[in-house]
Amino acid sequence: MLRRLILTRVLTSLGTLLLVSMFIFGAVELLPGDVARQIVGREASEQQLQIIRQQLGLDRPVVDRYLSWLGGALRLDFGNGIISKRPVIGIIAPRLRNTLILALAAFILYVPISLVFSLLSAGFRGRHIDALLSGVTLVTLSIPEFVMGTILLIIFASSLRWLPALSLIEDARNVGEALRALLMPALTLAIAMSAYAIRMLRDNLIEVLDSEYVLMATLKGLPRRNVLLQHALPNALGPALNVTALNLVYLIGGVVIVERIFSYPGLGSLLVDSISLRDAPLISAAALLVSATYILANLAADVGVLLLNPRLRTST
Amino acid sequence: MTAVPVPVAPIRSRRSFLRRRLPTTFVLGSIILLFHIVVAITGPLWSPYTFNKVGTGKPFENASTAHLFGTDGLGRDVFSRVVYGAPTVLILATTSTAIGVVLGSFIGLLSGYLGGWFDEVLMRIFDALISIPFLILALLIISAAGATAAGSPSLLIGVVAFIYTPRIARMARAVALDLVTRDFITAARARGDSAWSIVIREMLPNTTGTLLVEFAVRAGYAPILIGSLGFLGFGIRPPNPEWGLMISENRSAITTAPITVFGPVLVLASLVIGLNLFSDGLARLLGRSAQFGAQ
Repeated sequence: MLRRLILTRVLTSLGTLLLVSMFIFGAVELLPGDVARQIVGREASEQQLQIIRQQLGLDRPVVDRYLSWLGGALRLDFGNGIISKRPVIGIIAPRLRNTLILALAAFILYVPISLVFSLLSAGFRGRHIDALLSGVTLVTLSIPEFVMGTILLIIFASSLRWLPALSLIEDARNVGEALRALLMPALTLAIAMSAYAIRMLRDNLIEVLDSEYVLMATLKGLPRRNVLLQHALPNALGPALNVTALNLVYLIGGVVIVERIFSYPGLGSLLVDSISLRDAPLISAAALLVSATYILANLAADVGVLLLNPRLRTST
Repeated sequence: MTAVPVPVAPIRSRRSFLRRRLPTTFVLGSIILLFHIVVAITGPLWSPYTFNKVGTGKPFENASTAHLFGTDGLGRDVFSRVVYGAPTVLILATTSTAIGVVLGSFIGLLSGYLGGWFDEVLMRIFDALISIPFLILALLIISAAGATAAGSPSLLIGVVAFIYTPRIARMARAVALDLVTRDFITAARARGDSAWSIVIREMLPNTTGTLLVEFAVRAGYAPILIGSLGFLGFGIRPPNPEWGLMISENRSAITTAPITVFGPVLVLASLVIGLNLFSDGLARLLGRSAQFGAQ
C-alpha cells in the first residue's frame, strides 16, 4: 500500500516535470530574435545563417527539436551557450553549487529560528509575547525579499560596516570570509521562510496542545516544558514538513532576488543575466534545473510526511 | 394616570456594536489602505514636484525639509516620485488579481463540477504551471513577450493574472468538489440546468466568502511581485516612478543617502502590511483563515 502510494507520487512528479519542460521549451522558443543571427552577427550572409541553422538543427520541426533537447537534458547536455559559446553545463555547475550552499546556509538558520519562536509563541499563547510574535511575523511576511535584503544591507554593510555589501563568495580566501559573505543573503532567506513557518507551526502546536493526551501528560504533573518539547513538538513536526516544502517556493523564488541584491554568483542571478542577454540554451537549462529542484524537493517532503505519519497512508 | 415603567432592554449603540464586531486587524488594515488610496488619488495635487522633474536638487541628497526622501541620481525628488508611483501599484495589483480570481474561480469551479478527463488534464497542466517558481515563470513570460511589450503595464497585469489563475483555480476546484455532492446542485441538475448556469447561479454564490479572502490575500502579494520584477529590471520601465524600480535605481547611494532607498521601502512595506492586515481581518470576519504568501 505504502509502496504503491509512493510510486504514484513519484510518477505524478515525473509527469509534472515533463509538462514543465514543455512549457519552458515553448517559452524559450517564443523568444524574439533569430538565434543564428545572434551567433554570427549582423553582417552574416544568408548562406552563413543557413549553415548555422543546420548545425543547431533550427531547420527541423519543433517537436523534433524538443525531443532532442529533452534527450540532451537527461544526459545533462544542454548544448553551448550563445554568448560564451562554452557548454551550458560547465557554466551552470559552479553557479548551482553556490546556490545550493546558500540554500543550505539559509536552511541551517531557518530551522532553529522557526522552532524557537513557534515554541515561544505556542507556549505563551494569548500572552504579550505571542501577540508580539504574531505582529512581527505578519509584518515580516509583508516585506518583500528585496526590501528585507536591502534593509539588512543598510544596517550591516553601510551603517555598521560589519559585513561586506557584495557577497562575492568565489573571491573568499578562507572559510571565515566565505561565511561572512554568506551570512546576509542566507539570513534574508531564512527570515522570509521563518515568518511563514512560525505562524503555521504555532497553530499546529496549539492544536496538539489541546488534544487529550497532552492534557493527560499535564495532569500527570509533567512540567510544562516537558509537555511542550516531548509530547507536543514531535506531533506538530509532521505537518511542519509540509510547511517546509511550501517554503522551498520562497527559497527557490527568493534566491533569484536575494542573489541579485548581494551580487551572489548563483543560479538565480545567472538566470536573470541570461534572460537579459537572451541566451536561450542557458535560460532553458537554468529554468529547468530550478523547477526540477523544486518538484523533487516537494516530492521528497511528501514522501517524508507519508513515512513519518502512518495515518496518512490509508487515504489515497 | 401613572406611568408604568416598561422594562427596556439596554440599547447598544450601532457604533459600539460595530467596534465590537470588527477585528482590529480589519480596522487597522482599512485605515492604511484608505490612506494609500487617498494619496494615490490626490497625490499630484499636493506633491512638491512632478515625478520626472530633474535637477530639483543635487544628485543623491539625503533627507531635508525640501526633499523628504532625498533626491535620486538625476536630482529628482524621491518623495514626489513615491507619491506619483502610488496609483500605478494600486491599479496593477488590483486589476491583475481581479482577473486572476475571476478566471481562476470560473475555471476551477467548472473543472470541479464537470470532473472526468477535462478536470484531470486541466489540473495536471495547472500543477505543472504551479511547479515553476512564480518569479521564474514571470521572467520567462516577459522575455518571451519581447522587447516591445516588456515594461508595459498590460503585460505586467497579464503576467500576475497568469501566475494567479492556476493557483486560484486549484482552490476553487476544491470548493467545487465539496459543493457537487450537495442536494441543491443535484436539484439544479435534475431541473436540467446547464453546467455553465450551475456554476454561475448555484456554485459561485456559495464561494464568494472564500474568493473574497483569496482576492485580498493575493492582492496583498501582487505589489511584492510587481516590485520584485521592477527591482530586477523586468517591470515598469524608467523613467516611470515604480517603487521596486526606484529602490533598485537608488541602491548605488545606499551609503550616502539611505533615505532614497528607505523611503520607497517603507511605503511599499506599509501598503503590503495594510493589505495583509485587511485580508487577515476580512478572513476573521468571514470565519475563515487567511494563508499569506504566493503559494
